[in-house]
Amino acid sequence: MPLFSKRKNNTDSKDKQNTDERNQEQQQEKERPVLISPSLAKNIAETKKEVGSSSDVIIREIKIGEQDHVHLAVIYISGLVDNNTIHESLIDPLVQDESIQNTHAIQQILEKTLPLGGVKAEKSWDKLFSELMLGNALIFADGHDEALICSTQGGEQRSIQEPSTQVSFRGPRQGFTESLQTNISMIRRYIKNPNLWVEKMKKGSVTNTDIALMYIQGICDEKVLKEVKQRLEKIDIDSILESGYIEQLIEDETFTTFPTMYHTERPDVVAGNLLEGRFAIIVDGTPFVLIAPALFVQFFQSVEDYYSRFDIATSIRILRVLVFFISLVAPAVYVAATTFHQEMIPTQLLVVIAAQREIVPFPAVVEALTMEVAFEILREAGVRLPRVVGSAVSIVGALVIGQAAVQAGIVSPAMVIIVALTAIASFATPAFAMAISARLIRFIFIIASAVMGFYGLILGIIMMFVHLCSLRSFGVPYMSPLAPFSSQGVKDALFRVPWWADEKRPESVSKEDKVRQGKDQRPEPAASRGMVNKDLEEGDQNGT
Amino acid sequence: MEKARISIRQLFVMIIIFELGSSLLITPGSMAGRDAWIAVLLGCAIGLFLFYLYQGIYQCYPNSSPKEYMDDMLGTKLSWLFSFLYILYFAYIAARVLRDFGEMLLTFAYHDTPIIIVNALLMVVSIYAVRKGIEVLARAAELLFGAMYLLGAIGLVLIIVSGTIDPHNLKPVLANGISPVLHSVFTQTMYVPFGEVVLFVMIFPNLNDRKDVKKMGMIAMAISGLIVALTVAINISVLDVDLTLRSQFPLLSTIQTIKVEEFLDRLDVFFMLALIIGGFFKVSLYLYATVVGTSTLFKEKNPSQLAYPMGLGILILSITIATNFSEHLNEGLNVVPLYIHLPFQLLFPLFLFIVAVWKKKRREKSKGEEAKK
Repeated sequence: MPLFSKRKNNTDSKDKQNTDERNQEQQQEKERPVLISPSLAKNIAETKKEVGSSSDVIIREIKIGEQDHVHLAVIYISGLVDNNTIHESLIDPLVQDESIQNTHAIQQILEKTLPLGGVKAEKSWDKLFSELMLGNALIFADGHDEALICSTQGGEQRSIQEPSTQVSFRGPRQGFTESLQTNISMIRRYIKNPNLWVEKMKKGSVTNTDIALMYIQGICDEKVLKEVKQRLEKIDIDSILESGYIEQLIEDETFTTFPTMYHTERPDVVAGNLLEGRFAIIVDGTPFVLIAPALFVQFFQSVEDYYSRFDIATSIRILRVLVFFISLVAPAVYVAATTFHQEMIPTQLLVVIAAQREIVPFPAVVEALTMEVAFEILREAGVRLPRVVGSAVSIVGALVIGQAAVQAGIVSPAMVIIVALTAIASFATPAFAMAISARLIRFIFIIASAVMGFYGLILGIIMMFVHLCSLRSFGVPYMSPLAPFSSQGVKDALFRVPWWADEKRPESVSKEDKVRQGKDQRPEPAASRGMVNKDLEEGDQNGT
Repeated sequence: MEKARISIRQLFVMIIIFELGSSLLITPGSMAGRDAWIAVLLGCAIGLFLFYLYQGIYQCYPNSSPKEYMDDMLGTKLSWLFSFLYILYFAYIAARVLRDFGEMLLTFAYHDTPIIIVNALLMVVSIYAVRKGIEVLARAAELLFGAMYLLGAIGLVLIIVSGTIDPHNLKPVLANGISPVLHSVFTQTMYVPFGEVVLFVMIFPNLNDRKDVKKMGMIAMAISGLIVALTVAINISVLDVDLTLRSQFPLLSTIQTIKVEEFLDRLDVFFMLALIIGGFFKVSLYLYATVVGTSTLFKEKNPSQLAYPMGLGILILSITIATNFSEHLNEGLNVVPLYIHLPFQLLFPLFLFIVAVWKKKRREKSKGEEAKK
């Protein structure tokens, strides 16, 4: 396979000296010429050889011009091209145009014949093939050592739909699709500003996946940009099938359960983050766009926080953090309290719990671990099962795991309540990546509190905090703006101040242009009768 | 570990957490009896003077580690000896703090657990934190300071609400005159907790801005002095002086008296957790000082590797320094302040401060304009 051998050559040449590199290139030339040849037959043969006569590569040979002197071949990949464009804007004009001369065929077609937006001439095979694979059509002409690339991209794509993750009550209803172009344009529609820059690159030596790095010039921190470009350049892998590949290849810290890059399906989230000075990485073929530098608090923010009023948003955010901690420590607290610190539980409640636990044959920790694992199994099964059988799982879960286990005396009802609470709590965290890390850490906490009660638990929590503080996302401390504390940053962290009070972009992320809005924007009380309040004379307010 | 930079705000928070760490646990100024809170306040005043000395030495040599400026002042041999003694001092105090917390946990929750297990677990977390470096430790302090502050505020409100505070227990003020108070100041409160701030000499070189060290450090000292004095006063007014002095851990005894509506009861376990946060930072900072000191003294290039052996050493030391809790307390009250704290917290630093200021003046005289930069 030429592609694989090319990759091998590339990696080899890195190891050797420059002189060797030239030899390598010559060797490559023997396999596939760098430039196309003037002979149409040779070019067609070369194409067939390269694509292995794949059935979806269409090679259409036509003869045009006066007395059919001009021999052309139109090559495209069916499915990747827009059929209408091929017929109406490519083949049809070519056949119609009789003025084309053999000697200047390519030049004439390029300049006159084709009613297409993007047509350009190209000589190198590499370039031609990569354009072909993108869904562009190639036109070869006999006797010319240049070919034309016509932009005919199209084909079937998923239309823009409501995102299935990160659902919000208020806000735009569109989510990203699998097409890179569509995704970029969706973000552009939010930020209509020439300073929104996009840098495209190809990654994956076999898949040749398009990746776009998007940022707002002048707001995004130059140092962070330099860092991310460096990390992206370092990527040398055969395939990029989803943005998760990129995330795992460029994130700061691998050995952590906490996500240090944010991913989203919503263009408005990306736009908001770009405006705060972050960058986005869009990968062709997936609706999930990566955003970094990501902060811990960011995973507890949801888009409608910014769309709804600040008091509501603040209370809901605090609720989310609370819920995150419940999902982390609830079973551990139960285990610690019932095993080590019974005196902490109010007497009446203690009597109830003790009565329940009397018939249970296991220690609390075994009970907790069994139930948590059972629930994880249920959840995983629920995700994988076909929707038709999905309801069966919930019946099995509710009846067998819940009621039957209690009646059989295997677990205590209190434990079922704890597990259910934890489960619901872990779904209330807006970012799945954060919720799943809480799911993992929860087990460590259960074991810690089974060993040393609350002391073990608090040591576990301290260790988690120290670990969180040691994380960085593209150089930005993960726990900022809480630690290191920034008075500007906390305006939009666990709380959210009203928009008019949030004058600057978050300090930890945006280093460049910091001012977000003008001062004194606080809305004044009604200026009724078309007059500004301060102009009203005394006593006027009481009049009718 | 070396390039770490911490902000003045982080230093501020660390000083408060450090000061409160174990002083909330024990009764500072117990010799002053009913007037312990006055002893704490006076001790705090002396503590401010001590802090002035420590930061004064640092201001004379802002860009060098303690070992480097002691080289300059005393010559390499004497400075090596001093550094070595200080490392031993930090390690010993770390072991003492660790022992304090271990005993507290055994007394309050884990009666049958061997103390080495309890201490080892705390040490493991400290080693983990110290390996991550001072920057991470400082950030964690900022984060956990909030948690401690919240718990402290809740505790105060609950004590007030449950109505156990009886201010009459504080009277009569200065019944036996000022002399027992002063005695307590010079044998207890000026060393623990206030003089212990000498540890921050090891942390000053990591500061990113040295301008406000004096101001913010002293404010932090004063705030923690006020908090400690308030806590001691509350303990005495809730428990009365006899019980406060007899109780090994009076704050937790005070918390035990909280009773709100038959529901909030026996909260001492909760506040034990808040105290552990303080204990963790105290042990970690001492461990950090030991590790950094050792690495500069023995020119070890990778300081974080030293956290394991040093931590293990301190852990073993914490078990072996006393055979039982009474012995530990006795050493803490009668031996350590005079023979260990006094030289390391007052005499050596005072000597160094005088030398540093004298050297600085001489440098300024000889170099004239250059020194002003």
